[in-house]
Amino acid sequence: MDNQWAVNASGLAKRFGDRRVVDGVDIAVPTGAVYGVLGPNGAGKTTTLRMLLGIIEPDEGERTLLGHAHPRDASDLVGYLPEERGLYPAMKAREAIAFMGALRGLDWKTGRARAIELLEQAGLGHAADTKIRKLSKGMAQLVQLLGAVVHRPRLLVLDEPFSGLDPVNQERLEALMLGERDRGATILFSTHVMAHAERLCDRLAIIAGGQRRFEGTVDEARGTLPSLVRYRPRDPDRVTPELLPADARPDGTDWRFSLPDEGIEPVLGRLLAAGAGIWNLSIERPSLHEAFVRIVGEQASQENAA
Amino acid sequence: MSPSRRLIRQTLTIARRDFIATVFTPIFLLFLFAPLIMVAFSTIGAMGAAQAADHGADRVKIVAIVPDAIARAFVEADTRTRTVFRRDEEPPALKTLAPARDPAAQARAAFEARDYDATAVLYGPLERPTILYGARGARAADYLAVLAGQSLVADRVGGHLPQVAAVKTPFVRQRATLGGQNQTAFLAVFGVFFLTLFLAGQVVGTMAEERSNKVIEVLAAAVPLEAVFLGKLLGMFGVAVLFVGFWGTVLGQLTSILPPSFAGMVGELSPAIGLPMFAVLFVAYFTMAYLLLGSVFLTIGAQASTMREIQMLSLPITIVQVGMFTLTLSGLSKPDSWLAVIAEVFPLSSPFAMAGMAAARDTLWPHAVALAWQALWVALFVTLGARLFRRGVLQSGSVRPFWRRKRA
Repeated sequence: MDNQWAVNASGLAKRFGDRRVVDGVDIAVPTGAVYGVLGPNGAGKTTTLRMLLGIIEPDEGERTLLGHAHPRDASDLVGYLPEERGLYPAMKAREAIAFMGALRGLDWKTGRARAIELLEQAGLGHAADTKIRKLSKGMAQLVQLLGAVVHRPRLLVLDEPFSGLDPVNQERLEALMLGERDRGATILFSTHVMAHAERLCDRLAIIAGGQRRFEGTVDEARGTLPSLVRYRPRDPDRVTPELLPADARPDGTDWRFSLPDEGIEPVLGRLLAAGAGIWNLSIERPSLHEAFVRIVGEQASQENAA
Repeated sequence: MSPSRRLIRQTLTIARRDFIATVFTPIFLLFLFAPLIMVAFSTIGAMGAAQAADHGADRVKIVAIVPDAIARAFVEADTRTRTVFRRDEEPPALKTLAPARDPAAQARAAFEARDYDATAVLYGPLERPTILYGARGARAADYLAVLAGQSLVADRVGGHLPQVAAVKTPFVRQRATLGGQNQTAFLAVFGVFFLTLFLAGQVVGTMAEERSNKVIEVLAAAVPLEAVFLGKLLGMFGVAVLFVGFWGTVLGQLTSILPPSFAGMVGELSPAIGLPMFAVLFVAYFTMAYLLLGSVFLTIGAQASTMREIQMLSLPITIVQVGMFTLTLSGLSKPDSWLAVIAEVFPLSSPFAMAGMAAARDTLWPHAVALAWQALWVALFVTLGARLFRRGVLQSGSVRPFWRRKRA
């Protein structure tokens, strides 16, 4: 059994009708990591997760889930929150959580006891005997998430877990995910909100147009773009474009340009020699959002060109 | 845990959820007492119809235009003969009239009488009487002819028919009659048909719940779809067993307070294979009929995406069930015909036909083969249903079910 990877997939492909929704995606999720699958709407994230879980079979490619060649064999060790949330409206919150645990092999008695425990931890203890149909959307979503972790899975797969949640519940969810990670679970989640990925992910993959465009850490993703230099001269009249890198653009009294590969020193040397001086200078690392937009944008440009 | 044990556990988890979700609702009480409501309405209707019929029946008469001396014998013959009829089969009441000058005209006039409705009128000599009868009066005319014959005999032996003091003793047969076996076979087939007609259709819409509230994705990720399908089938079968158990108990209690003559009639319904084994086989075939038809209906219903589509399916589903029933009855009437063999082999009619066979023949091995054959088809239908559902519905929300794909 492969303990290094909680999920290991290569060349996953899926076609719906004439459309190739996922086209040769590789994903390797290290055991114990929080792994994000990022991509714009319709990128193939959900289909990829569904193939990894064995809900649908890939047309091509192979995958192992917690070392099992067939995902079904590991189903009792996995927790899953689908993109389209679904609970039985007539069930009480406690029963709904216990039911989801029972589906994954947890006995009902333990499931009910843990459900109470989890609801109280999530601040929903008062709703234990409330029917799902009477809960708010956010509360129901949290109940479903608790149902996904009640059997203490080794792998937690969450498809767009933050969508539809208010900031308070988003924070609760983040805490819950980190708690699961601290317990030793591996977390694989999809999102198109970069802030969550930036805060939570140890590693991430960016999928666009059904293909994986990037795989690595958040830092490595940000590193795909050069840092941005913002420069304000003491004497703007002495600054000429020849002194600055080719991509430099004026921004009010400032100039903005990418950090050159050879570093900032040669540029500063030229500016000081010309007497432009330095009023203000900052070097900003690009955000994940900017890296994502560039990576996905490249793919969009390629598609448009094709 | 072994894969098969896990599958059983997952199946039972789904079944438990469906059973509880169905039984612990107020609507279930309505479902449970539906036969009572049906019987109550039928009884009210029947009583009304009977009352209306009785009201009209009081006025209907058969008329004998005979001399007073003969009239006594006529009335006596009528009193004796009438006892062999059941109440609902009795001929109209007898009215005797003394002959007028023109009996033929008198007979015709009887049909115009205002205080009664003559259905048949006899006049003339008893050796060759003339009987006029109106619409639906042919049997009444025959009855008048019989009375005339008996009255003639009485007249010839001194005015009264001879009395016969018969010793009547009830006798319980040791062996079932062939007629009783055939009746049992019919009742067995009808029983299985009635129960499945009433109950198997319930599974059609069960997948709609999961599809409408998106729970299907959670289920599909956690358990194989085969377990979902089989679990739903078993959950609803549990509901059916509860229903049958409840009404079986009620009817069992009712039977114990029925008159002995009825118990004697029930005793005549003796299956060839023996009552205990027949009871076991009846339960087994009901189970198989439910699972077979239920799995087909579940498969079809799972492809439907709206309540309207599910409602539309109820008619073809009923037609399929009635079709299987008809096929089985046709086979039952000619036990060695090719139609009977088809009914026994075709998976959807096999439980009905084999339940009938259990009543009519005493061989046991065909039932073992049939039950295995039917169980195989249940497994096939469940697997096929799960695959169709996975391909047609789970692949993508936008993929259409097969019938709409064909139409497009």
